Amino acid sequence: MKAKVGVYVCECGPNIAGKTDLDEIITYLSEFRGFGDVELVVRKYGFLCSNQGKEYLEKEIRDLGLTHLVVGACSPRDHDSTFKDVCGKTQLNPYLYKIINIREHCTWVIDDMDKATEKAKSYLRAGIARVLYQSELFESPIDVNPDVLVIGGGVAGMEAALALAGENRSVTIVEKNDTLGGRAGKLRGFSFQEFNKPEQVEKLIETILGNPCINVFLDSEVTSVIGFLGNFEIEHVSLESKVITELFCGSIITATGADLYETTEESGFKYSESDDVYNSMEITEMLSSGDEITLRSGKEPETIAIVHCVGREELGYCSGVCCTVMMKTANMIKARYPDIRITQFYRDICLPPSGGQELYAAARSSGVNFVKVQSTGLSGTTVKFKEKNGDEGEQFFDMVLLASALVPSKDTPALSELLGIPVDETGFFQEAHRMTNPSATTTDGVFIVGTSQGPRNISDSMLFARASAGQILTKLLVGEKLVPEVAVTEILEAYCTGCGNCLDVCVYGAIYPDEARGISIVNEAICRGCGNCYGSCPSGALRTKHFTNIQLFREVDEALR
Amino acid sequence: MNKEFKPRITSFLCKWCSYTGADLAGTSRLQYSTSIIPLQVMCSSRVDPVFLLKAYLSGSDGVLLGGCHPGDCHYETGNYHTRRRFALVKEVFESLGLESERLKLSWISASEGPKFARVANEYTEEIRKLGENPTRKSIFL
Repeated sequence: MKAKVGVYVCECGPNIAGKTDLDEIITYLSEFRGFGDVELVVRKYGFLCSNQGKEYLEKEIRDLGLTHLVVGACSPRDHDSTFKDVCGKTQLNPYLYKIINIREHCTWVIDDMDKATEKAKSYLRAGIARVLYQSELFESPIDVNPDVLVIGGGVAGMEAALALAGENRSVTIVEKNDTLGGRAGKLRGFSFQEFNKPEQVEKLIETILGNPCINVFLDSEVTSVIGFLGNFEIEHVSLESKVITELFCGSIITATGADLYETTEESGFKYSESDDVYNSMEITEMLSSGDEITLRSGKEPETIAIVHCVGREELGYCSGVCCTVMMKTANMIKARYPDIRITQFYRDICLPPSGGQELYAAARSSGVNFVKVQSTGLSGTTVKFKEKNGDEGEQFFDMVLLASALVPSKDTPALSELLGIPVDETGFFQEAHRMTNPSATTTDGVFIVGTSQGPRNISDSMLFARASAGQILTKLLVGEKLVPEVAVTEILEAYCTGCGNCLDVCVYGAIYPDEARGISIVNEAICRGCGNCYGSCPSGALRTKHFTNIQLFREVDEALR
Repeated sequence: MNKEFKPRITSFLCKWCSYTGADLAGTSRLQYSTSIIPLQVMCSSRVDPVFLLKAYLSGSDGVLLGGCHPGDCHYETGNYHTRRRFALVKEVFESLGLESERLKLSWISASEGPKFARVANEYTEEIRKLGENPTRKSIFL
């Protein structure tokens, strides 16, 4: 069949029409004979993205029997999908269309009308050349499982589960400990800024256990994860009975929490278990249980040191939550034991949450002593420190509290491997994008929440949990099918030597070896179509659909004509 | 130098950063050289060394490859691969006695419209000094 390419240039009001000679472009392209016997229909229209414009385009595609479509308009970010949808209503496959960004890349950046017209001409020519080599692609929707697996039953995991169950999603929580609640469960209401009732976490646990949509496996660990967004196959094992349970779900939320940094003698912290040295977890547990604050000898302490930033230098990051916890700790101790003298050794005070500054002000006014230091160490309960001016000193205390940094939980590396999600330079799980997509990961369908992603307080952890739940609720709809990216990469098996280069460069794990046949196979459901593997293939066996060599070569050639 | 010489710079821009940066140059109405011919790829790592050669041998006076800043790749590590492959092509160019200055790699983020315009202008000037691609119309690929 002879190709008949429709080239429609949008005037975009004065944005394109006022900056180029559209009639000149139309005449030039209509008379252009560089594409052999390809028939070109070149027209302009006021606003193609308007409803009338879309209807006009749809009618033209149908009435003229166009085989390909090029739209000269704005950035594909604005209206690529608009015109794709128009094609979808007609006989024309949406992948036989291309938008050419005349506005952002020509008329808005070139004041000289002649020059803008020239550039628009070559840009459109390149688009026509490319579109002629594009092939039809068909989106094939797949069934999806709307159920969700939550790994970790701390507050973040529970909050996510509850948000999902609220929309009648089936949720399974797999928790490795024998209780739900995680760290916050041990603190009971201590760290909750908004609700101070100690039974808050217990209430959350009760709600979870009583919810028919939520299935909880305690003392269990996930051992196998296969699949992709919409269709995951999971195996988890009971640590006690060793019974393996199989589970199917569409998405996974990782809420495995964090651990506390452990001090080392090399970094100057020398003390034994019999010394009255406690980390933030231990002291807050003591405080929230309502127990007396006593030394191991049974006496009440007269002096307490709070040492900040423990592990910060070694780890290279600020945990951002310890200062708040320690301000609260100091205030709670002061409220119950006004006579205890508290000294805080700090480098910087970091109080990001709302109410943080007030806690600091309260500590100051209740007589807590603050000493700004460069570095700290410990020998038993004697704090060694170097002051800001370089003076070194040491001071004995009855009790020492360490504001230890948060570090990735021990399970993080194994889970990272299992779920195929990377960790960042601090060892915590890495988000898809720190700013624009902070609760998703590079593996579609796998989310990270709470402190598994980095140090954060309880309210932020819960917020991220709800964010992930929201993403899942909008991404995987019950009864709706998922349309995987179709412009993905395929392997031309005859050319593949099975060298495995592509396996190494693919961060999504979308390529796997077929050892029996000695070739590599692309799992198109996971592939995102970046084309990196193509660049790594020595035999040209990979083909990124919709970005093939011939398409780009023709585009280059025609642009340079 | 021939006053009529109008450099033509084939630019492969990744969809997520550099192409969007070029869009921003547009929405900010920044004027830059008309020499730039922007072509979109999903990731700079899609631009395999053959593309650069192809663009060069097809008569581009310069070839610009734009990607996300290291660490910011939409596909995680794509641009690190790009960087290595690009270094390789540069070396191949040099050992073949071709002008490796005709190839340029630049990291331009989606928010760096001004940088896109600046790179476009500066590179155009560099190419203008180098003159026309000497292989133009004499070697075909």
